[in-house]
Amino acid sequence: MPDVPGTGQLVLLFAAAGIFTLALLLSLLRFFNAGKTSLRTAAKACIYLGILMGVAVITWRALARHSWLPLDDNFDALIWLALLLALFLTYMQRAHPLGGLDLFLLPIVIFVLILAAIFGRTKPRAYLETTWSLTHLIAAFGGVVAFAVAAAGGVMYLVKSQQLRRKKMLSGQGLGSLERIEHLTFVSVSLGFALLTVGLVTGLVRAIDTHGHNSLGPDWYRNPKVLLAFIAWIVYALVLHSPINPSFRGRRAAILSVVGFVLMIGTVVAVQYMPTR
Amino acid sequence: MPKLSLLGLNHTTAPLEVREKLAFNAQQQAAALAQFRQKFSSSEMILISTCNRVEMYAATDAQGEPGVRQMIEFLAEFHSVPSAIFADHIYQKADREVIEHLFSVASSLDSMVLGETQILGQVRQAYEIARAAQLAGPVLHSLFQRAISVGKQVMHQTPLAEGRVSVASVAVEYARNIFEHFGEKTVLSIGAGKMSELVLQGFVALGVGKLLVCNRTADKAQELAAQFKGQAVPFEKLAEHLVAADIVVSSTGAAHPIITRTMFDGLLRQRRYRPIFLIDIAVPRDIEPAVGEIENVYLYNLDDLQEVVSRTQAQRKDAVAAARAIINAQLEDYLASQRQRELGPAIHQLYKRYHQIAQEELARTLNKLPNVSDAERAHLEDLARRIVNKLLHDPIQVLRRTDEMHLPASQYLHALEKLFQLDALSSDQSDSAPPTLPPDSEDGQAP
Repeated sequence: MPDVPGTGQLVLLFAAAGIFTLALLLSLLRFFNAGKTSLRTAAKACIYLGILMGVAVITWRALARHSWLPLDDNFDALIWLALLLALFLTYMQRAHPLGGLDLFLLPIVIFVLILAAIFGRTKPRAYLETTWSLTHLIAAFGGVVAFAVAAAGGVMYLVKSQQLRRKKMLSGQGLGSLERIEHLTFVSVSLGFALLTVGLVTGLVRAIDTHGHNSLGPDWYRNPKVLLAFIAWIVYALVLHSPINPSFRGRRAAILSVVGFVLMIGTVVAVQYMPTR
Repeated sequence: MPKLSLLGLNHTTAPLEVREKLAFNAQQQAAALAQFRQKFSSSEMILISTCNRVEMYAATDAQGEPGVRQMIEFLAEFHSVPSAIFADHIYQKADREVIEHLFSVASSLDSMVLGETQILGQVRQAYEIARAAQLAGPVLHSLFQRAISVGKQVMHQTPLAEGRVSVASVAVEYARNIFEHFGEKTVLSIGAGKMSELVLQGFVALGVGKLLVCNRTADKAQELAAQFKGQAVPFEKLAEHLVAADIVVSSTGAAHPIITRTMFDGLLRQRRYRPIFLIDIAVPRDIEPAVGEIENVYLYNLDDLQEVVSRTQAQRKDAVAAARAIINAQLEDYLASQRQRELGPAIHQLYKRYHQIAQEELARTLNKLPNVSDAERAHLEDLARRIVNKLLHDPIQVLRRTDEMHLPASQYLHALEKLFQLDALSSDQSDSAPPTLPPDSEDGQAP
């Protein structure tokens, strides 16, 4: 089983990131040239092509190592994260169009794909160990997907709010309403928080269950990944707290949802630099 | 051949008191068309009547009816008003000018509010009513179909219809950028003036959940609230109403701000920091500018809204040249297609007739030349055909380009008939004897 992805897989991955970048540029052009349906169609086509290319990388890698289990390592996990975000975007565009969502989700997709390529060049870390691990992994991974959407919503909210404060009215199709963006962010954070909570609890059980004989080591509670995940959990708890303490709503909640996602990405980066056992 | 004519008046030529006397509602429009059909059974007519214009588009019959005078009389009789009241305000156009004018109207270049899209629907409606009354014949049918298509093209391909052109519509547009679901929103109007009424109209059209009207004079508040099925509330409890409101429209005549930063800061917690859209259209202002600095408070004053309106108007003016270019291109295309339709049969007839003459002359010549082989006969037939084609080439080209010389095709058709009389043709034939014919040929006489 090859430890790291082959050059061909990495090239295909970069090509997928390039196609998503093209989709982003086309979306930007459409945004500033409202009514250009040809640009919208071209951007959508690029997103679909990018998804197909991402799936091709995953399939190629699975064939190369004779393993059909996804999420085996960071390389797989990050590509899946990007693909799920892109799929969520296509679903929204089709079922509940929200003006400008692609402008904020696509950069995350591209960023995550680049992270996958960077970490794919080093020795990937195996994840799967026990049932607890699988539950932990799926819950934590689902949480990150939801938090990525929340972060996109948070940035979108800040931009929209700033536009309104500057009394800037964009002609044609602009960003969706503040109320709708806030709703998207709140729902995503709620879902992500529930999943992250499950992820943390199962991670804790695994750590106790293995008496420190796991990838995090005996001092798992001082591990940067665990600490970052816990801090992110507190940040999201604050965001969700906003209906009870409404001063956390609006701009502050949007900023916190972005901070939370940065911390979550930090856990992925942190795990790369932890000593292996 | 039918002639296009237009008689009308609009906001630039006639004041409102004249326009309203001549306006047609839907029922009157149908009745007027029925009357017109009785009077001029073989003519076509479409009547456009909006608050800014009354225009009669007619395609005259063989007798040239209805003429301008008849159209004026028709208008005067139908509305029972003396023609002297409106005669000085009307404009009349014919043929090419009618087409150009209608294309401009459908594209809203002739509208009071440049780029407004309602006019396109009104042109379409006028056409549908005339079609139902069987007064939109082949001439007006194709003209109005093309005009509607031109209007759509201008709206889609130029920024003429983009943006908002009234303070009320800009306010509503901003609200739609803040809120998504208006059914659960409360609108509070502070003041009950005309401006408030205009802005409230826009919000009521969005289907807001609750409308509160708060005014120092309770009667006025009651009146405005009743108009929009809202609720009049006491001015003294303004702070309470501000807690409940999501959108506030303020236009009182107060000399000093009635909503201050200090007052609003105290309401934030009660409001649970919900976003609020404040529209201050009062002069002097009703709301302290510092209120707009508070988190989740979006404050817009009259200048902010007016600036968007001005920007839209400037942008629309910039788009006029692009719209004109589309109209001109479509006008030329339409005229060319009409010319083809008018001249096509005449040109066909002309060729048929002269080829027939050539064939007859050729047959007579061949009868006198008994030793002509099949190959020679074919050459002679080809020669005759080419001569006819070359002779007719120039006049036909001129006919096809008639509009470039600003003369209607009918005049050229008439000239064609005169120019190509039989005697003229025979003299042409004798002057240009086929070069391949034997030199001793005595022929060349007309059949």
